[in-house]
Amino acid sequence: MYDWAEWLEQTNLASGIRKGLWFYPAIEIIHIIGFVILVGTAIMFDLRLLGVSNKISVVKLANYLLPWSRRSLLIILPSGFLLFMTNAITLAYDPVFRIKLSLIAIAGINALIFHTLVFKSVKAWDINQVAPAAARINAVTSIILWLSVICCGRLLAY
Amino acid sequence: MKTLSGVIIFFTCMAFAVYHHGWSNYDQENQIEFTGEIMESSYENPHGMATIEAEDGKTWEVVLAPPSRMQSRGLEKAMLEPGTTAKVVGYPHRENEDEMRAERIIINEKTTELR
Repeated sequence: MYDWAEWLEQTNLASGIRKGLWFYPAIEIIHIIGFVILVGTAIMFDLRLLGVSNKISVVKLANYLLPWSRRSLLIILPSGFLLFMTNAITLAYDPVFRIKLSLIAIAGINALIFHTLVFKSVKAWDINQVAPAAARINAVTSIILWLSVICCGRLLAY
Repeated sequence: MKTLSGVIIFFTCMAFAVYHHGWSNYDQENQIEFTGEIMESSYENPHGMATIEAEDGKTWEVVLAPPSRMQSRGLEKAMLEPGTTAKVVGYPHRENEDEMRAERIIINEKTTELR
């Protein structure tokens, strides 16, 4: 059914990562460093939206933290894909893996809603103001989703 | 509501944990050991595997350790060649009755701890 997964798993690259002593753990470490940055910056920003450290400008914090969230994807996605390749058939059938990818997609949509709709009015609540309910809902949703993604990831790592 | 959905997602993930090879998926109250012949083995990440036919005729899928750990403890790839006799001490998987995770493996009187 998943011919492409079988093909991926049998590539020389996937087999090389499985057989090498240190490739696999090294890629895991890179993946972890990446998602620490992604989830760390996302949650710090979410907490600000929920009212923590209200004196910090939301705009300035967004300009500082969120580019790092985006850059972290440059190491998370390739390392994640390499880890997937080594065990593609099992993962393709694994419900936890599907849940994980779905949660990441929902987290992406959640961020998109925040940036295209909610963030537009930020001037009114940039400093020392309570963020609108929509922003706070985005923040809580984001925290829950990213923590759940980490839980799923931990369950996938053998 | 949001917290509730988070809790539900978390426990949904936990419920599928049986598909994985962490120690908690093996019944550590029920230690088993057997001696048998290695039919097949792999020395690959994330962990090596061996198919071992026990003396009583049962064939076990035995989960070993990551290659880096096996190598640093002196269990070389060549020692797991098919045809080798091995004694295994470990725990049966809670769901898959042919699978077990080895705490240690004894080959040619050399014991290697795998945890």
